[in-house]
Amino acid sequence: MERWHAVASWTWDAQDETCGICRMAFDGCCPDCKLPGDDCPLMWGACNHAFHLHCILKWVNSQTSQAHCPMCRREWQFKA
Amino acid sequence: MSHPTKRSATASTDASSSSAAAAATMKKAKSQAVACSLDSKNSLSHHHHHHHRQHPDDALFDPAASPMALDDDLKSDDQNARGAVAANLSRKKATPPQPAKKLLIKLRKGKPTMPPNFEEDTWETVRSAISAIFLKQHLSCDLEKLYQAVSDMCLHKMGANLYQRIERECETHISAALQSLVGQSPDLVVFLSLVERCWQDLSDQMLMIRGIALYLDRTYVKQTTNVRSLWDMGLQLFRKHLSLCQEVEHKTVTGLLRMIESERLGEAVDRTLLNHLLKMFTALGIYAESFEKPFLECTSEFYAAEGMKYMQQSDAPDYLKHVETRLQEEHERCLLYLDASTRKALIATAEKQLLERHIPAILDKGFTMLMDANRIEDLQRMYTLFSRVNALESLRQALSSYIRRTGQGIVMDEEKDKDMVSSLLIFKASLDTIWEQSFFKNEAFSNTIKDAFEHLINIRQNRPAELIAKFLDEKLRAGNKGTSEEELEGTLDKVLVLFRFIQGKDVFDAEKSMISKLKTECGSQFTNKLEGMFKDIELSKEINESFKQSSQARSKLPSGIEMSVHVLTTGYWPTYPPMDVRLPHELNVYQDIFKEFYLSKYSGRRLMWQNSLGHCVLKAEFPKGKKELAVSLFQTVVLMLFNDAEKLSFQDIKDATSIEDKELRRTLQSLACGKVRVLQKIPKGRDVEDDDSFVFNDTFMAPLYRIKVNAIQLKETVEENTSTTERVFQDRQYQVDAAIVRIMKTRKVLSHTLLITELFQQLKFPIKPADLKKRIESLIDREYLERDKNNPQIYNYLA
Repeated sequence: MERWHAVASWTWDAQDETCGICRMAFDGCCPDCKLPGDDCPLMWGACNHAFHLHCILKWVNSQTSQAHCPMCRREWQFKA
Repeated sequence: MSHPTKRSATASTDASSSSAAAAATMKKAKSQAVACSLDSKNSLSHHHHHHHRQHPDDALFDPAASPMALDDDLKSDDQNARGAVAANLSRKKATPPQPAKKLLIKLRKGKPTMPPNFEEDTWETVRSAISAIFLKQHLSCDLEKLYQAVSDMCLHKMGANLYQRIERECETHISAALQSLVGQSPDLVVFLSLVERCWQDLSDQMLMIRGIALYLDRTYVKQTTNVRSLWDMGLQLFRKHLSLCQEVEHKTVTGLLRMIESERLGEAVDRTLLNHLLKMFTALGIYAESFEKPFLECTSEFYAAEGMKYMQQSDAPDYLKHVETRLQEEHERCLLYLDASTRKALIATAEKQLLERHIPAILDKGFTMLMDANRIEDLQRMYTLFSRVNALESLRQALSSYIRRTGQGIVMDEEKDKDMVSSLLIFKASLDTIWEQSFFKNEAFSNTIKDAFEHLINIRQNRPAELIAKFLDEKLRAGNKGTSEEELEGTLDKVLVLFRFIQGKDVFDAEKSMISKLKTECGSQFTNKLEGMFKDIELSKEINESFKQSSQARSKLPSGIEMSVHVLTTGYWPTYPPMDVRLPHELNVYQDIFKEFYLSKYSGRRLMWQNSLGHCVLKAEFPKGKKELAVSLFQTVVLMLFNDAEKLSFQDIKDATSIEDKELRRTLQSLACGKVRVLQKIPKGRDVEDDDSFVFNDTFMAPLYRIKVNAIQLKETVEENTSTTERVFQDRQYQVDAAIVRIMKTRKVLSHTLLITELFQQLKFPIKPADLKKRIESLIDREYLERDKNNPQIYNYLA
């Protein structure tokens, strides 16, 4: 065997199938985006909850959220 | 000078009331007035000055009695108060007219009288002058005096009579001049120059006469309605007598037409002569009636004949060139000698006879040939000319049927299926060039090309779509070798253009290989997704690069295999059914190391191997020579079993690789029953049975070193084909359902036929009415719709 062109596909490795904010699939994208993948990445919080980056940013920046995780109400911090 | 009559009238009353003594004093003032008028540089005053000096010598009339003199007197009278005095005194002192006190004004005795034969004598002077002018004799009387004579007569209110007399005199001469042309030279060109000469002379003469009688023109003619100026009178007389001399007029027109015709036939003609004569027609106001009409008729006849003749003689591009030249010539003709007003009608006539009538013939004769030969310039000429006669629609239709005809040849020829896509691409590219350069990017034409392509790509149901899929597949597989990145991208772009024309786009997702990646392309997202796919490929390259450099790869990777990985973003690509395969340990190591590397680089991801998509290059040592085999990963896995074994049964292979049954059969078939038989099947046969076994083919021979073992590009079986269609229909049925609900939601109540018609309009893929009916039934079952209780042909929407 000399050369090997392998093919692999990747998906987000999150516990849920869908984003808790927009209810769209993680493999899809948030309602503001047209394309899934790197253009609409996922973000994990310190609490290990994942959301679409755009969704969680909107949430964190809104007045009502007080920057808590929408799932567990712990203070939202981006996972390093 | 605009109201001389009024002025002289006032003057005479003034004169009668003033004393004779005043005259002498006034004379003094007069000279001042003259000086003043001279100062003001008024040319008319200038004339008065001369006149004043002249008449004492002439002794024609009593200076004081002359209305002209009176006019002058009056003038000096009021100028005495302003201009004249102002000339001598300062303005302040001039205001009180004190010096006037010292003047003694005496009335002259007796009324001024006119010499008895004044009118007749003066007219005789003028008449003989006019006659001399017409006869080109020397003038016995100088022009100055003649002018004077005319103005004198005018001032004596003899204007009307004088005008009539001049007119009569002129008429005699003009009539004679035109009569003299009758029966002249039979040579038309000579005759024309005679006419030109005559016209030129008469114009000059009329100008001269007008100069003499300028005063008449400026006073009597101006103030009297319905009287023509002397120049116009001359034209009118000329016109009248020209029309009386039918022969002259007719001969002139014929001459002109002949000259133009011979110029059209390529002879050189005296364009100045033409120009002058036509100017004459314009000046006489008979251009349109006497010349233009017959000229256009002549033109029409000429080009009708020429058009017929040339259409038969020459081919379409030459004919068009000729038409272009002709139109240009006619245009120049208008600039050179025809009246500008003729241009529109003339060009239209020529266009009509040369082009409009022959449009279908030209298209018939030449369009296909020009298109086939890609003759950009000739096509451009055709477009430009046709646009002049609003024949672009015909051209567009010709284009449409040309594309359909030619394209059909490409698409319907089953034997050439192999080259169909590339032929279509070449065809499309040449059409695009023609559209851009010859048809000036006309939008309607662009749509025509699109429509025609859409039509012809869809005439053979799904076949072109499949072939495009295969073509793309090949191109992408061959991607790394032979073609550069740009070339590949270019080809892909072009293929995408073809792809846009396909109605049954979703057929693509039935294709097993790479092309099924285009699945989600249907609809507006398709370019976006494709970009995503390209991005994945790009990214994969980078990842592979950094993987090679990485410490993991260098420290842990067993050497020997050059591995590259395409990492796909799930969302861009269709979902592939996971295919189980037990890889040789070696390969697992590779995959694990890569996975580790990838996940360390991109956290929060899951990586899944799509083994059904992988392919490899193998080195094989056959007894008859070394070969390189390009195969799929599944084929590889199977072949590698034969490194350690001579003969393996189907079950052995199945157990060792754990490839799914059908897939394995297909793989084995490709290796042992296809064109390239690397394995031998025992017993021989086309299909792989459960108790078949396989051996390494010792006798394998091939002319080439590098061999591609076609993976699964086997002919589709009937069963497969139906399953394909079924799967496609499965996908489509959601679209059908959605369309039905959409329509019914807006219409609420709709008959079966109307619903079907609307569905056909909305659905972008071919579908059988029976299938639609099934979907409607299903929706009734699911209580989206109901049949009307009274009429089963009518559906109601259930909210």
